[in-house]
Amino acid sequence: MTGFILRRLAQLLPVLLIASLGIWAMIYAVPGSPVAVIVGENATPEQIREVTVRLGLDRPLIVQYGAWLWAALHGDLGLSIQSREPVLALILGRLPPTLQLGLAAILVGLVVGIPVALASALRPGSWLDRVLSGWSALALGVPTFWLGILLILLFAVELHWLPSASSYVPFTEAPLAALRNIALPAVTLGLYVSGIFARFLRAALIGELRADYVRTARSKGLRERDVVGGHVMRNAMLPFVTIVGLMLASFVGGTVVTEAVFTYPGLGRLLIQAIGTRDYPLIQGCILLVLLLYMGVNLMVDVLYAYIDPRIDFG
Amino acid sequence: MTDAPVVSVRGLDITFAGRIHAVRGVDFDVFAGEVLGIVGESGSGKSVTALALSGLLPPVARVTGSVRLGGIEVTSADAETLRQMRGRDVGMIFQDPATTLNPLLPVGRQITEGQIAHGTLRAGDAEARAVALLREVDIPDPEGRVRQYPHQFSGGMRQRAVIAMAMAGRPRLIIADEPTTALDVTVQAQVLAVLARRREETGAAVILITHDLGVVAETAHRVAVMYGGRIVETGPVEEIFRRPRHPYTAALLRSLPRIDGEDARLIQIEGQPPTPGALPAGCVFHPRCPVGRARAQCRETEPPPVPPGALVGAACHFPDEAGDALAPTVAAKAAAPVASAAPPLLEVSNLHVAFPIRGGLLRRQIGTVRAVAGVNLTLRPGETLGLVGESGCGKTTTGRAIMGLIRPSAGSVRFDGQEIGGLRPKEMRRLRRHMQYIFQDPYSSLNPLLTAGQIVAEPLRIHGVFETMGGDAYVRGLFDRVGLSAGMIARTPRDFSGGQRQRIGIARALALQPRLLILDEPVAALDVSIQAQIVTLLQDLQRDLGLAYLFIAHDLAVVRHISDRVAVMYLGRIVETRQKGALYRQPLHPYTQSLLSAVPVPDPAARGGRGRIVLEGDPPNPARPPSGCAFHPRCRQAVAACSAEAPALLAIAGEAGMVACPLAEAGA
Amino acid sequence: MSGVVWRLLGRREALLSLLYFIAIVGAAVFARLLFSIDPLEQDLGNTLDPPSWKHWFGTDELGRDLMVRTVYGARTSLLTAAGAVLIAASVGVPIGLVAGFFGGWRDGLLMRVVDVLLALPGILFAMALIAVLGRSQMTALVAVGITGIPSFARVTRAQVLSLRQRDFVLAVEALGGSATYNIFRTVLPNAWSPILVQMVILASVAILLEAALSFLGVGIPPPTPSWGDMLRTGKGFLHEAPYYAVLPGIVLTCTILALDTLGRALAAVLEAPEPGMAPPDGEGP
Repeated sequence: MTGFILRRLAQLLPVLLIASLGIWAMIYAVPGSPVAVIVGENATPEQIREVTVRLGLDRPLIVQYGAWLWAALHGDLGLSIQSREPVLALILGRLPPTLQLGLAAILVGLVVGIPVALASALRPGSWLDRVLSGWSALALGVPTFWLGILLILLFAVELHWLPSASSYVPFTEAPLAALRNIALPAVTLGLYVSGIFARFLRAALIGELRADYVRTARSKGLRERDVVGGHVMRNAMLPFVTIVGLMLASFVGGTVVTEAVFTYPGLGRLLIQAIGTRDYPLIQGCILLVLLLYMGVNLMVDVLYAYIDPRIDFG
Repeated sequence: MTDAPVVSVRGLDITFAGRIHAVRGVDFDVFAGEVLGIVGESGSGKSVTALALSGLLPPVARVTGSVRLGGIEVTSADAETLRQMRGRDVGMIFQDPATTLNPLLPVGRQITEGQIAHGTLRAGDAEARAVALLREVDIPDPEGRVRQYPHQFSGGMRQRAVIAMAMAGRPRLIIADEPTTALDVTVQAQVLAVLARRREETGAAVILITHDLGVVAETAHRVAVMYGGRIVETGPVEEIFRRPRHPYTAALLRSLPRIDGEDARLIQIEGQPPTPGALPAGCVFHPRCPVGRARAQCRETEPPPVPPGALVGAACHFPDEAGDALAPTVAAKAAAPVASAAPPLLEVSNLHVAFPIRGGLLRRQIGTVRAVAGVNLTLRPGETLGLVGESGCGKTTTGRAIMGLIRPSAGSVRFDGQEIGGLRPKEMRRLRRHMQYIFQDPYSSLNPLLTAGQIVAEPLRIHGVFETMGGDAYVRGLFDRVGLSAGMIARTPRDFSGGQRQRIGIARALALQPRLLILDEPVAALDVSIQAQIVTLLQDLQRDLGLAYLFIAHDLAVVRHISDRVAVMYLGRIVETRQKGALYRQPLHPYTQSLLSAVPVPDPAARGGRGRIVLEGDPPNPARPPSGCAFHPRCRQAVAACSAEAPALLAIAGEAGMVACPLAEAGA
Repeated sequence: MSGVVWRLLGRREALLSLLYFIAIVGAAVFARLLFSIDPLEQDLGNTLDPPSWKHWFGTDELGRDLMVRTVYGARTSLLTAAGAVLIAASVGVPIGLVAGFFGGWRDGLLMRVVDVLLALPGILFAMALIAVLGRSQMTALVAVGITGIPSFARVTRAQVLSLRQRDFVLAVEALGGSATYNIFRTVLPNAWSPILVQMVILASVAILLEAALSFLGVGIPPPTPSWGDMLRTGKGFLHEAPYYAVLPGIVLTCTILALDTLGRALAAVLEAPEPGMAPPDGEGP
């Protein structure tokens, strides 16, 4: 088990190094001097000299990268140009809202997606399957930002049931207020997720239903619900777990578009604001952290998969 | 036989999608304690019949007629009645043990869940019951194995577990659909032995569906031969094999290469088995029938079926002529024109091929699979060397390494005196003109986007000799040479049957006028009646063109038929290489002996006459070969020295052959 | 070949999607002939007019005709998507071919490169690139194209690997054909159907991604008409002019759905693997 994780980490390491190099090099790729980029455009010459020396920007590039990486590994991602606050603190403050939205959306996706997939897969080609497959295509094809606009129009502008801008209320502190705020963004994102889940699980179920072991199970005289529940679902769920995990991984990295629609104070909004104000330390920090979280959750999904599949031997 | 039959089938008729008439009026009865063998080629309707018996056909199948099983009319029963019948009255064994078990559930649970569903076993007793059932089918350490998953079982063990599963509810009927087709011959012998013993212990009736006449001859009491969706002949097994009444049965028996037979040229059944979507009018067999082809009666009217309940009979207008119309027409293969003094065309010495096993941190190499571990071969011009062995023994790897498709890790391959190991890619490509390869699977070896003509011409174009060799006319000549009509030149592979595709593959290999063909299981994927056609074609080509063949196969009967000399491989090494006659008459290596004895002979009279050696265990994993002689853990004659040192392949006194077993030599 | 086209048109959903797609492409190409109004032409006397016979989709906050802007937005969107698909395919397909055919260290190296591209969800990767390169239509096109590279590399590699298992590819080697001959004459012709399907699917993904970037305000810079930017601005006028954000959204959604449907129908007709079963990517690409 430990060996398996270490091996996967060893594979990730070069990717992480190259990606972090790319993130560090961002400020050098931007037009203008990196110091100006970090200090802001209206800096005085004194400030520039002070920052150059303080950040060691007069040293060789490789040393600069090493120092940057070393600091980043110690949690020092620098200060935001706009707010002058530590980048890490800014990011960590935005993480819980994003996680809450991501988890809620995945929940909606599972609740809608799994029944849709089951109903489709048990009668492939039937009218119900065609209707539900059409529904999945719609859920996948409608851009989340447009769906969000439609939902705001209906539930906020017309019916006044829900707020059009969602703020973050921790679910553990005020569940009702949290639900009121998260309902629209979670449904918006969740419907898209349900489309992914339904389409994937339907294909997996149909594939498994054609497998030889299903015929064997029937030949033993098992009830159809045991054939599906005990045999088919178990096999189809295995790759499905991966899909759910990958979805979660990408939401840890920010639910950028949905946050923008509902002006929800998550990580995605922070990144958009940072890009808008050319706050490069903040951009770098956001992307580096998202990268780590994204790859970390991906790794966890791999480990989980290997753990629940008896055929994979942690060697 | 005054008892009521366990299952009684009358007028069974199955149509798919309204036009594919898979089964057309099948009648038979099976009685307690007997084995009915249903024999047929692909598309004959045998597997569809099996599924219909337990009501497992997909809903698109339209089934008429009657199937009475355990007091239930299967064709009209509702889903719940059928479910209760399955597992209780009928158990099923399917072909591929790699896919018939659910990979994510423990084997023990899968064996007993049928009984639990029928309420005949309490969940608390399930594990003890599973252990008992596994023990009954000779699974070693059943207590430990019961919680393991299918991937931890070998193929033979899996199939025995499936037998245990099918018999768990003590059904009166077992339907086994090609139960040993996916298994090696030594493992097949184990599985058939277990099946026979369990049948005797439980008194169940068995329907054994197979294409293998040898398996039928050894295990069945009665036989039904299916062709084109009908039973064309039925009778006791001795009758069928001694005096076939249907020309198809007669021809099928004569078309079979045998390990105990003459070297006579095989009888060929011309043409292809019919597809259920496009059946010929009249007797379905008449287009291929030597008796009926020219007769109006056979062309126009379908013969009446064997009367229901009859124990012997054939659906043929002229059952008395079946036997005599099929005498061999061409003399046997001329004595091999092999001059043993000629310099060898191919010399392989000490060939090793190792594949790395990667693992650990950074995917470093942590071990090697020694697929080929020191193979020596010589092949003279015009000679055929058969290379036989079970799956995983390294025979295909050997062939591909000789061809230069896999890089050997050590050893030398000399073709016509020239070492090919050190050749540069360009020189290697030039050499390939003289050495060609025929693949096993004709469905995968032809580029689906090219026409048959383009496929055959491709080697000419690659080497830039299309025009100099004679262009289109030359390609048409190759088509003629392999028995294909030149009119088919513009069609794509999907328009051809398996046998025809293999002919295209042969034509492609011949295009550059090679001197050596490496044939990798060239007939293994083909129907029995088509195998004879391809084997005969290969023999004719060798006689006319003086080709040398390295014939790689697992089928000992086919190898016997085509080879001059035979080399037997086990786990990457050659254990015995002899002249064909000597090897089959008196095998020396214990592995060769058990291999030959495990092959079912299509002759019920020989049943039990030969002392069968049933090998224990499975072929070992090439990644972890046993120490010393790789065969010693399964060898009956092994002594302490066998596990210490691998025996060398040594010449046999007074014979042009070699064997890698000191004990065998002493006995010879 | 013509058989494939007929079988595709035999599917009702594919025929409808194709007709819609042809209509939108036609409108985008012939926009100048169809409309006498310029998409940038302001009419400050008629701002936020609801849909009427004169302005079918109404007008925006500067009095520009929304229908005209939607059609010109199609131009932006389709051009960006086409360019992105071209970039993604022309980099991704060769990567997949070489990695799949040769295996070994070439495979390891190329796939690590692809892993780096996959180290972030696609939209974040595109945003990071835009943060560096600055906001322009060209940047959007390149960023969307780069995020599409992994999908082509993976689809091609998977197909080549499965072809590598087929004997006819080995047969060409046995016949003496060189690797180059094998790749271009045998492997690539047999691998094109999933690649073609991927091109259609990626076109829909690219349209969605570009629209998302523009909606976030980092994609196509105004005043160039783009669907994402129209929705972004329209969202500010939900009370005064709900049609503003709704009507262009319908066109955007239909375009995405049409391409996705077409890609799936094409996969079914070509018997290619069902697309989009690869790991999902964020909130829709």
